[in-house]
Amino acid sequence: MNDDRVSFDNVSRFYGEVLGVNRITLSIPPGITSLVGPNGSGKTTLMNLLTGLVRPTRGQIQVLGVEPSEPRKLFRLVGYSTQFDSFPRGITGFQFIHSFLQLFGHSAAVCTKLATQAIEQVGLTEAAGRKIVGYSKGMRQRIKLAQAIAHDPKVLVLDEPLNGLDPLVRAETIALFKRFAAEGRHVIVSSHVLHEIDLISDRVILLSGGYVVAEGQIHGVRSEIQEHPMQVLIRCDRPGALAAKVFAQDHVVEAQRLADGTGLLVKTRDADKFYRMLNQIALGDIQIEGVAPADDDVNSVYGYLIGDEEAAK
Amino acid sequence: MAIYKHTYKNYTGARTETWSRFFILTRFGFARVFQSKFQLLFIIACLFYPLTCAAYIYLSHNAPFLAALNIPAARLPQIDGRFFYFYSIVQGALAYLLTAFVAPNLVSPDFANGAMPLYFSRPFSRTEYVVGKINVLLILLSLITWIPGLVLFDIQASIAGWDWTTTNLWLAGSIVLGQFVWIVVLSLIGLALSAWVRWRVAAGALVLGVIFAGAGFGTAINGLMRTNYGALIDLTQVAHTIWSYLFRYDTGTEMSVTSAWIVLGLTCVICLWLLAKRVRPFEVVK
Amino acid sequence: MNPKDWAQIFAVIRLEIWKTLFSRRSLWVYLLAFAPVLLYLGHSIYAPREQARLAGIAAAHPVSTEVLNSISNGMSNNVVIEKLGEPYHQHAWHHRIEGGRSNERVIYKYTDGKSDFTFFFFNGRLRHIERSKPETLPNNLLIFATIFRFYFLRLAVFFGCVGIFTNLFRGEMLDKSLHFYLLTPIRRELLMAGKYLAGLIAAMAIFATSTALQFAAMLWQFNGQTAGDYLAGSGWGHLISYLGVTMLACAGYGSVFLATGLLFRNPIVPAAVVLLWESANLFLPAVLQKLSLIYYLQALCPVAAAPDSSMPPLLVLLISAAPPVSPATALGSLIIFTLLVLVVSGFRARKLEINYSTD
Repeated sequence: MNDDRVSFDNVSRFYGEVLGVNRITLSIPPGITSLVGPNGSGKTTLMNLLTGLVRPTRGQIQVLGVEPSEPRKLFRLVGYSTQFDSFPRGITGFQFIHSFLQLFGHSAAVCTKLATQAIEQVGLTEAAGRKIVGYSKGMRQRIKLAQAIAHDPKVLVLDEPLNGLDPLVRAETIALFKRFAAEGRHVIVSSHVLHEIDLISDRVILLSGGYVVAEGQIHGVRSEIQEHPMQVLIRCDRPGALAAKVFAQDHVVEAQRLADGTGLLVKTRDADKFYRMLNQIALGDIQIEGVAPADDDVNSVYGYLIGDEEAAK
Repeated sequence: MAIYKHTYKNYTGARTETWSRFFILTRFGFARVFQSKFQLLFIIACLFYPLTCAAYIYLSHNAPFLAALNIPAARLPQIDGRFFYFYSIVQGALAYLLTAFVAPNLVSPDFANGAMPLYFSRPFSRTEYVVGKINVLLILLSLITWIPGLVLFDIQASIAGWDWTTTNLWLAGSIVLGQFVWIVVLSLIGLALSAWVRWRVAAGALVLGVIFAGAGFGTAINGLMRTNYGALIDLTQVAHTIWSYLFRYDTGTEMSVTSAWIVLGLTCVICLWLLAKRVRPFEVVK
Repeated sequence: MNPKDWAQIFAVIRLEIWKTLFSRRSLWVYLLAFAPVLLYLGHSIYAPREQARLAGIAAAHPVSTEVLNSISNGMSNNVVIEKLGEPYHQHAWHHRIEGGRSNERVIYKYTDGKSDFTFFFFNGRLRHIERSKPETLPNNLLIFATIFRFYFLRLAVFFGCVGIFTNLFRGEMLDKSLHFYLLTPIRRELLMAGKYLAGLIAAMAIFATSTALQFAAMLWQFNGQTAGDYLAGSGWGHLISYLGVTMLACAGYGSVFLATGLLFRNPIVPAAVVLLWESANLFLPAVLQKLSLIYYLQALCPVAAAPDSSMPPLLVLLISAAPPVSPATALGSLIIFTLLVLVVSGFRARKLEINYSTD
């Protein structure tokens, strides 16, 4: 197992007879990795396993070479913003961050400095002196995030961190994740907002029913889904003529004219061949105005891999 | 089901009558009680004493059995007010323990999990909520107190004959009234403390503490102040006084029956006040 | 354990102690602890007035102690009135019994100016005599010892520790906030030790203060000379013993309820079992008696609470003398038991998982 990776080696976790996750083997490099899957697929279980909040029934986990059973080493490296929307009673946002920083062994002055910085980063400076019980949902989400980043961890584990955040704060938070990732840290995020995952993630891990269905960069994952031909959207001046030309290729399975008549939606089994062919066509008499993959994103991959399973159920 | 499938339709079947909707809470309360094997076993264990009493009643009338053991029937304790007084003490104590185990799980989790706004944003009143929850305790505690008590009375009546029944019919009323009052008080205490502290463990500790600590502190008052008024905060002594009156068994208690009824009444009023104050759809955060 | 470990433990203590001492949840613990203080204060105010009242009654209706002592069970109320005159207070009531009959009970009260004599008549015959002891320091020390054992240790400290120590882990689980502790770089055993120590400091602060205040309130009714002589003699030693027993009770019960909070989803069930076990201690065989905390705590109390005929039977039963055990053995057993329970709790804490949905 590598010291710059978060590794799962044949990890399973059962809750009695209920499967949490089963035979998970992963090696997560630095960068932003998103966990995607329907409710109950095992995302939170995976995060809880990696942070030691639950123990695996089988298998081994290492986070940058440290096992979750060594909290003294682990939590200097890891910060976790959980899904739980509950807090210790009767304390303010600042006290929440400050008091738990004291458990890291820092002096009161250092705790104050770190807490203030973390609160600034999540934009809660004005509300820091108020009791958490009076916070809105978005503020509670941000204070959890502040608690996770306050001690400057190398691995940030975030369970649905964008829940309840307004668009402006979402954008700021996403910028924060990107900054972390750019510094060579691990950011492991779970979310249901697939278009945002597209924007921020370097890699995705798709989970369903406790199993890893796919993992890797989204383009790579998409290209391996053979049962669903790639869809390419082409805007051109003569869609009919283009359709005749592309349909002559044996790797093209479907060419559908768009309703507004400005282009085609083509399905092809070999995207690379198709793009090379399109280059040739572009040199001819058809004006091609735009080419974009129509289903080379998390949303489509999710629908193909997990939506099919759900439909089969 | 994906939204695009649009197969949702409004429910058009029969609806529960408005007056009986509180019983939904009772059903779910029972489901939660019976999820715990320990609570289920405890409820079963609470029936051992009534079973033993039933066996005793039967055998005490069984002349061949008594003759075989050489026991004169006249020497055996009679099935009278004293018998049911002690029955009430035993089953009353078990009812108290059962309340300490069950009551905290009825209301505290609703507060802890933010369920109160969900209940009261429906056409559902606070009274229905309290009645629905308290029914769980009333039914469970009835199953181990006055219902088996009436069964024992019935067994004795059927064996002893019509004369005995007509002379002692008052016992049946005393069994029902005496034990029902006790279980109402216990249920209100359990529910009120569960609503007051909102935290299951503390509620259980308080239910246990109210009786035990009350009894201890009452005795401390009596010992220190050389008085008997301390007994008024010992709810078990208060209940014993009422049972002693209802079952016409003189235990020598100095507490007057009127005082005992007043104490129980005040306890109920305080518990209802606590419930009225706490069972609300909103929470004030300062 | 290195200095960093201690720093972490102190950080946990600082975090917890504020919550334990100053949260609204702790109000009932304060009530349990300080109710006896109010009782003793009330008694200290009431006792001299009661003495004055009895002296006044005796002056108006003089009855000698010898004549009062000559009254015996079985006498009729007429005979008693003939010997003693009319009582200064009487109360009669009837208790209905089966067969349409009723029992008549009558109470007559007399005083010799120092003690109150209560005669209980049952259907016209004297059945029972209660004589209140004079308000002397030895009598009050005995009553203090009885209340300390019967109410304070067995009930106030017991339930106070249930409230404080089960809250440390089980309460955090129910509040869904325990995971914040487990996401910090602190060993689980140290977390448990820190929480236990925080609970212990809070419990000791509350209950030891109460013990000291009870003691002071009990002495308050006596004049400076009497109280001063007592303190100069064995008084301070008694107070220190009571404080020590209180603290050991907090440590012992605290460890038990910390463990039940860790081991059981519903710690009230084992708390009820422990309560019944400790209450039934006197009925158990000697071997089993040694398996309870109260057995060793009682051995360390400085004043033996002897049974008194005027006390209710339940109280007499509860304060019956257990087979003696030396203070050194009692202290050692309590400490060893507490440490063992904490070790078990430490193992359990290490394996703690967060699964709030099961609670």
